[in-house]
Amino acid sequence: MAVLPMQRMELCALKINRKKILEMLQRRGVVEVHDDPQDDDVFRKTDTASARAVLEKGITASRESLKILNRYAPEPGSPFSALEGRKATTVERYDSFAEQRDSVLQLAYRLSSLEEEIQESRTEIPKLQIQTEALEPWKDFELPLNFSGTKKAAAFIGVLPPGTQKEALEEQLNAAGADAVSVEIVSSSPEQTCVMVLCMRTAAHAAEDCLRELGYAKPAVAPPVPPAEQLKKIQGTVEALTQKAQQAQEEIIRHRDARENLKFMLDYYTMRFEKYGVISRLSQSRKTFLLTGYLPAREAGALQEELDASFPVAVKFETPGEEEDVPVLLCNNGFAEPVESVVESYSLPGKGETDPTAVMSIFYYVMFGMMLSDAAYGALLTGICGYCLYRFQNMEKKMRNTLKMFLFCGISTVFWGVMYGSYFGDVVDVVSKTFFGTHLTIPPLWFAPLNQPMRMLMFCFIIGLVHLFTGLAMKLYQLARAGQYKDILYDVIFWYALIISLIVLLLGQKTFANISGASIVLPGPVSNTASAVAVVSAVGIILTGGRESRNWFKRVLKGLYSLYNITGYLSDVLSYSRLLALGLATGVIATVINQMGSMSGGGVVGAIVFVIIFILGHTLNIGINMLGAYVHTNRLQFVEFFGKFYSGGGRKFRPFAVNTKYYKFREDHKNG
Amino acid sequence: MDKMGIVFALLGAVLGALMAGVGSARGVGLAGEAAAGVVTEDPGKFGKVLVLQLLPGTQGIYGLLVAFITLSQIGILGGSAEISLAKGLLYFLACLPIAIVGYGSALGQARAAVASIGLVAKQPEQFGKAMIFPAMVETYAILALLVSILSIFGIGAINI
Repeated sequence: MAVLPMQRMELCALKINRKKILEMLQRRGVVEVHDDPQDDDVFRKTDTASARAVLEKGITASRESLKILNRYAPEPGSPFSALEGRKATTVERYDSFAEQRDSVLQLAYRLSSLEEEIQESRTEIPKLQIQTEALEPWKDFELPLNFSGTKKAAAFIGVLPPGTQKEALEEQLNAAGADAVSVEIVSSSPEQTCVMVLCMRTAAHAAEDCLRELGYAKPAVAPPVPPAEQLKKIQGTVEALTQKAQQAQEEIIRHRDARENLKFMLDYYTMRFEKYGVISRLSQSRKTFLLTGYLPAREAGALQEELDASFPVAVKFETPGEEEDVPVLLCNNGFAEPVESVVESYSLPGKGETDPTAVMSIFYYVMFGMMLSDAAYGALLTGICGYCLYRFQNMEKKMRNTLKMFLFCGISTVFWGVMYGSYFGDVVDVVSKTFFGTHLTIPPLWFAPLNQPMRMLMFCFIIGLVHLFTGLAMKLYQLARAGQYKDILYDVIFWYALIISLIVLLLGQKTFANISGASIVLPGPVSNTASAVAVVSAVGIILTGGRESRNWFKRVLKGLYSLYNITGYLSDVLSYSRLLALGLATGVIATVINQMGSMSGGGVVGAIVFVIIFILGHTLNIGINMLGAYVHTNRLQFVEFFGKFYSGGGRKFRPFAVNTKYYKFREDHKNG
Repeated sequence: MDKMGIVFALLGAVLGALMAGVGSARGVGLAGEAAAGVVTEDPGKFGKVLVLQLLPGTQGIYGLLVAFITLSQIGILGGSAEISLAKGLLYFLACLPIAIVGYGSALGQARAAVASIGLVAKQPEQFGKAMIFPAMVETYAILALLVSILSIFGIGAINI
């Protein structure tokens, strides 16, 4: 339950060992390399941008080629492959991959060029098909379409509007002054008429003008060979392109066995890319290099031992100073660890703050359970997560933690479901009534919120108060650790006193008795004490709330404003009514589904309809309500709970490590 | 006129489902457009933007919830449907919070969800925070739901 203490590390070693030392550190993955901006005459930074550009190219090539391979030869895999985790590999394989690298890289480029060929044919073929369509009406015409005539005769080959007749056209041309014409209708369709008009060169202008007026246009494509021949040529090209694409595709599929190598290459380049990123941060002299960074204190001993055993190095560990920006790494037990990601998605603890994960985890699971609140849903959630955790032992840690979080949430849901007596809503009642004619019901262990919503609401508020008070207690702990004992009195104790005394006073009120149905009569001394405490603490808050101001007038004004925060507490507590609302939502929708299912009555048909509606409806309900429970549990932690003591702002610890996609190094394997 | 009680009660129930439902449908649609835009650029964000898209959908469920409780209380789902005019009007009024606030908050939440989808598109690691902005709006739908539900249960116990 804590933020791990960090140590600053300085390592000085010979350059000839640089590769080995860095690779070892990368595999260990415990050091975050720190940029030390000291440049002097001896130590300089090296620019590795060009080397990184080459490596990046390798990464892109591997990634692209894998994508291509997956497009034509999809990887056989189960839908659970995301849970399987990375394969383990050895340092020897990594080291020996250097020999193989060039051939695999060639293959990656080959795959890319094959894909290019396929894409080219894919864009070329439709273009050719458009040409074919344009030439189709001319296919019986024996001259090339760009034929313009002989020395004495002019030829016009082109299209006219549909419905043009030979005789009519001849007459019109004659009338326009172009005599001795010959008109040939090549083909006619509802869209157009294809014609060839021959006339004397001398009358060519007259004929052309007349044709223009009639809407004459040259063919869209006019190849220099007769249409039939051109069509054949196009046909041949299309076939060749199709075949080429086919062959390229077949070749890609033939290379599917290279997939593992490509994956390995992607990881190989990714690792080297990261390594070069680190090299650019090292201070290097002619023969030595200097590495500074942070690492968790508990790793320091083992790392030093390992380094000393293999290389001549000088390592120094020291506790970082107050003003340093030390990265944050959380460490929690198996129960709390899964919700670390929730804390992280808010913000990691800043300077001097405690890790809230452990305390939050209990509330997280409890509240999630109260919102999902159905024993059967919880059992399903627990079962699925438990099975996956058991079945896929090699799962990545992040995934494992997510599943573990939902496993614990599921267990809590079962608990609350049993308390409230909800099993798929009221499925036991409905089934027994509809299909067996009896009336069975599983009574709630505690009470059913749908029947006693006020009681449930009160319970939610109590949970809320506990949550908020725990938040205040966290603040107390933090202040105590920092030694700010006065602040504890002003910012925590006064508020505790004020709120508790107000609650005590509220309990004695008549309205409260009306709402909750339970009347509590406070003995006189108790209510008097409560009133006194409330007044004292309120005055205390007014006097100290603005204590950073020196001006007394300003201080009291600020104090009054901080007393106004009491409304904040009111709205915070009211916010916990979502525990009731979401809990009811699950139960009522489940009831609606069951009722819909039972509407077609008993018998075989009724049973089939019931099963279908039951499965579809409850799947949907689980999905929606899990989403709701997740979002609102987070909200209660982030806004209500963290609002009391936590502001975060820490920087995540990002060690120099093997951040690969497909392979990881076997854990039992020490450095090579 | 005395028979009108059930009419008003049903009107309330229907309005609850109707307005909250329409609000959620529009809200989820709005957020869906933004989500689809993000997925065209990066299909890997599908899971995250889907969650954000669904957030304005809960108001519709609250509307359904209130409608259903009302229907079962007034006896439309089996049982006798004899209620007085005054009681019918009371049910009608009890349904108004979730009907109106549900509609408005679904749209408001949708706008926050769209903005959050934009946030996730640029900074996927801020998903946790992106989720909170729309969830803040939902608080008011939850408060309205609470008032509606408590009223409906309360009316059942009143004898008029």
